[in-house]
Amino acid sequence: MRITLLASMALACSLVWSGLVSNPAALADEAAANSAASSTAAPESRREPIAGTTLEIELVKVAGSADGSVKPLWVARTETLWDWQDICIYKRDQKDGVSGNAAADACTRPTKPYTAADRGFGHSGFPAVSISFSSAKAFCEWLSAKTGRRYRLPTVAERKHLCARSGITAESMKDHAWTFENAKDATRKAGSLKPDASGLFDLCGNVREWCVAADGTGVLMGGGFEDPAASIACDTALADSEDWNASDPQFPKSIWWLADGPWAGFRIVCDE
Amino acid sequence: MIEHASVDRRTFIQGVAASAAVMAAPGVLAAGRRAEALRVGVIGCGGRGTGAAFNALEAAEATKGAVRIVALGDLFPERVEGARKGLAEKGEMGTVSEKNCFTGFDAYKGVIATDCDVVILATPPGFRPSHFKAAVDAGKHVFMEKPVAVDAPGVRMVLAAAADAERRKLSVVAGTQRRHEQCYLEAMERIHRGDLGKVVGARCFWNQQGLWDVEPRADRSDMENQVRNWLYHAWLSGDHVVEQHVHNIDVVNWAFQAVPERCVATGGRQSRTQTKYGHIYDHFACDFTYPGNRFALSMARQQEGTDGRVQEFIHGSDGMAELSSGSALITGAKAWKFAGKQRNPYVQEHIDLQSSIRGGSYLNEGKRIAESTLCAIMIRMAAYRGKEITWEQAMNDTEDLMPKALQFGPNPQAPVAIPGQGA
Repeated sequence: MRITLLASMALACSLVWSGLVSNPAALADEAAANSAASSTAAPESRREPIAGTTLEIELVKVAGSADGSVKPLWVARTETLWDWQDICIYKRDQKDGVSGNAAADACTRPTKPYTAADRGFGHSGFPAVSISFSSAKAFCEWLSAKTGRRYRLPTVAERKHLCARSGITAESMKDHAWTFENAKDATRKAGSLKPDASGLFDLCGNVREWCVAADGTGVLMGGGFEDPAASIACDTALADSEDWNASDPQFPKSIWWLADGPWAGFRIVCDE
Repeated sequence: MIEHASVDRRTFIQGVAASAAVMAAPGVLAAGRRAEALRVGVIGCGGRGTGAAFNALEAAEATKGAVRIVALGDLFPERVEGARKGLAEKGEMGTVSEKNCFTGFDAYKGVIATDCDVVILATPPGFRPSHFKAAVDAGKHVFMEKPVAVDAPGVRMVLAAAADAERRKLSVVAGTQRRHEQCYLEAMERIHRGDLGKVVGARCFWNQQGLWDVEPRADRSDMENQVRNWLYHAWLSGDHVVEQHVHNIDVVNWAFQAVPERCVATGGRQSRTQTKYGHIYDHFACDFTYPGNRFALSMARQQEGTDGRVQEFIHGSDGMAELSSGSALITGAKAWKFAGKQRNPYVQEHIDLQSSIRGGSYLNEGKRIAESTLCAIMIRMAAYRGKEITWEQAMNDTEDLMPKALQFGPNPQAPVAIPGQGA
């Protein structure tokens, strides 16, 4: 598995579980954040209904960073599910081509995939995979138009912050994350392991999640079902690569679906 | 004489000077042509045909061979133009002159009449048999996408042309890329040497959600609407069970080293009933009987909101193989998991074709892909008619789905088949 560390991000990892960064001082620096995150109070949460369907997206409120560089954020409790993605792709919120929300209907939606994009891993209740950066962004734009709230992908800094306050350690990875060691070569049902200290499921496993780097490009962060637990670190970010769609047999290749990205998914966040 | 010409031709490509006799072979070689490059014509310039042309160029790059795309043909001018612009990105090897671009129903004749050595056949499958025959008649090597026919008369035409190609040592590769995919090749080697024990059964699936469609327009003729929206008309696609599931059945035939004796099948059209989806079904399930009382379950579905699965399971007395694109696993007495690297199989299939043309291991997949195509057609026949279909019945079936005249104009859509009613 090719791991690309973004040079600008290769600072000391905020929370250590991977063994990649083993500076005890870094742990101590995060002690305060950890104690806040591991408080027993239930996280503040809200549900975002998807109009025209019976589905809701559950989000939890995550506190900002102590230095104020990361603002408080609403974060989807699970990675984006096929159930939500199907509504967008197959226009299941519409009847006869309209949903009653002109802005949402005007959004560019990803095309239908040309094969089983879920790869037989599981569909309803499972995280969407084979998703390109463009596709993840298009979903956010559509959902924003539908809800009137700005949904987006997290920045790299936000993702590192979520990871830092997750409270997950090398020892507890197996309780929180589907990885190479326990996933058996496939994604697993979202939320089927323990949530982290913020109340988020699968933050460090199941699928890698699209985030936005400082230059606006897409990077995949967090671990996926094929990644060994020891290789997953808070600051690991894989730069978008043509290799992830090399075997798309069409020309032009799809901008929405990754023929060679069975681990590529995403999690949405919202400022409001 | 033709056979000699073919053999000479290969040595010609290897850089040996051609004799005057070679020049006599029509369509294969033109006097004074560049010996070093294989010349490729593309018939059907949609996403897959253009993608296959890129794959042919990538194959040449990977093997330090030389290939040029020299001719393009498609029913629709904008498809040719799109392919021409896209391929031009590859520089000289992808640059096609205007005079070698052809459109209309007879575009394939124009491409075949150029001095190309190889043709890529990637139109909707209904056209494939006549295009394949014309290519072989003209002495061209062929890469053809799957499936290669939509009805039994088409299968018989492909079988005859494939036999002709064999006699003339023309190379033929089909777009069943699993046959060129490393994880499948290694798994099959293990299955055939007995790692599963005796192969007793199989299950295979192409279950997915919906595919693209092109909404019919009132200002277009029936024929144009159908060809643009070809997935949903059996005369063009064979129905989705033929168009896609042929891949998985081909793998089962490969594992069994046999074709089925008979099948029973069921299917229908439940969730995809709008007019724009033509008349095809959205689900099929089939039980094949192979020689030796061995059975294969086969299932194909295109319904939105349903679980996807594109996979084959081969069951043996001592284990099971689980196969899908990019992965292969054997459980049981001789457990194994594919852990190697593999080249993109869509490129590998062109590497293998180019190697065959240049005198390497000779490949002619025409008969095999015609047989696998017939297996998928058997499912459609059995499901549409509600009758068991034997291999002989399928092979000798007379239903010809092709319209009598290929021209823009009226072409009433076939009705949705209701089992027990009709043919």
